[in-house]
Amino acid sequence: MDWQLETSGGSLIGRPIGKIDETTWEVFQAHLLDAVRTAASAGSALVIDLAQLDYMSSRGLRVLKIAKDEAGPNAPITLAAPNDRMRQIIEISRYDMLFKVVDDLGSAV
Amino acid sequence: MLVRFWGTRGSLPVAQKADTIQAKIARALVAAGGRRFADAAEADAFARAELDFATYGAYGGATSCVEIEGADGAFVVCDMGSGLREFGIDSFRRIAAGHPPVYHLFLSHLHWDHIMGFPFFGPAFNPAATIVIHSGHADAETALRRQQEEISFPVPFEWLKAKFEFVVHRPGEVFEAAGLSVSLVAQHHSHDSYGYRFEKAGRAVIYSTDSEHKMDNMEAEVAFETFFGGADLVICDTMYSLGDTVSLKQDWGHSSNIVAVDLCHAAHARRLVLFHHEPTYADADIQRMHGETIRYEELVRADRPPLEVICAYDGLEVRV
Repeated sequence: MDWQLETSGGSLIGRPIGKIDETTWEVFQAHLLDAVRTAASAGSALVIDLAQLDYMSSRGLRVLKIAKDEAGPNAPITLAAPNDRMRQIIEISRYDMLFKVVDDLGSAV
Repeated sequence: MLVRFWGTRGSLPVAQKADTIQAKIARALVAAGGRRFADAAEADAFARAELDFATYGAYGGATSCVEIEGADGAFVVCDMGSGLREFGIDSFRRIAAGHPPVYHLFLSHLHWDHIMGFPFFGPAFNPAATIVIHSGHADAETALRRQQEEISFPVPFEWLKAKFEFVVHRPGEVFEAAGLSVSLVAQHHSHDSYGYRFEKAGRAVIYSTDSEHKMDNMEAEVAFETFFGGADLVICDTMYSLGDTVSLKQDWGHSSNIVAVDLCHAAHARRLVLFHHEPTYADADIQRMHGETIRYEELVRADRPPLEVICAYDGLEVRV
């Protein structure tokens, strides 16, 4: 899994690339929690751009919730541009009840 | 080995109400579309072929009780939920046909839904029966005796006629019981719970219920991947959605369908049984969860061999 970070429209955008499973979740967690802290110090919203993510399994999904808890209620995390596979995973896991999910990055920033 | 499910519901027994049955019949009649059947057998064949399980069947409502047939001369049962009553009755039938009256009962933990069948377990009154109760809990005997006290039940433990033996095991140790090789793993649950691995002739069955896999301790899941390793059948607590287990129902001591799939994938297990169904779920909800779990397995399978996903119901039999 690779990770990119950029700023756009006042939002911090984290972009995981590849897949997140039992072999890569710890790298994803380290990057994402760093991004949460960076966004908090900058007062920016955090968007996770899923466009280049093949899929994430339960380990990655739970990292998202750890990040959400770390960010707190006043710093919501938005999930953007999931592919069809990730959209189904988000629905099956009921994560669409926990996160705002938007179809494209432009809607999130 | 043959795995037979006598109770599959979590937390609390569930009874089907009249309106639930009536709705199933109405859906079946609509599906039949006015066709005629010569007899009940023909109607049954139509229903089995054309109707979904939530319409023609039911996931059942007895709490946790799973039999593993195939031990040497003894009954082997995991947990004493309300399904234990029917198992006990059926065991009398088999004893009459020559089966020895020897029972090895394995307790995941001592919460009420996992021991509530014991006061109604007929073989406990059979003076010819030997009942060995295996547990990871040192207070298993206390829990069963307390449940028989007059404030809860009219028959004290001392009135039971069977020969009882309580055996406490430690996680990690491998022991023999009725010809099966058995080991335990400690699980995260209030007052602890234990998963079991049963092996015989190169086949392995896992019974892992009431086990929460917490998001702040995912490193611990490596131990479960090892414990489930190469298993032919993994019976897993899949009571809630992942979203529920990390939010409203965090620390309730249960797991999700998708964590179960991920553990089985990493363990190279062959079949997963969804178990300990949420008592508020209707049959349609459980059927939907089963379908979603099959789909999730496909979505994250990658280059692994397929994992068959089975949904437990009272009366299900799975040969291993």
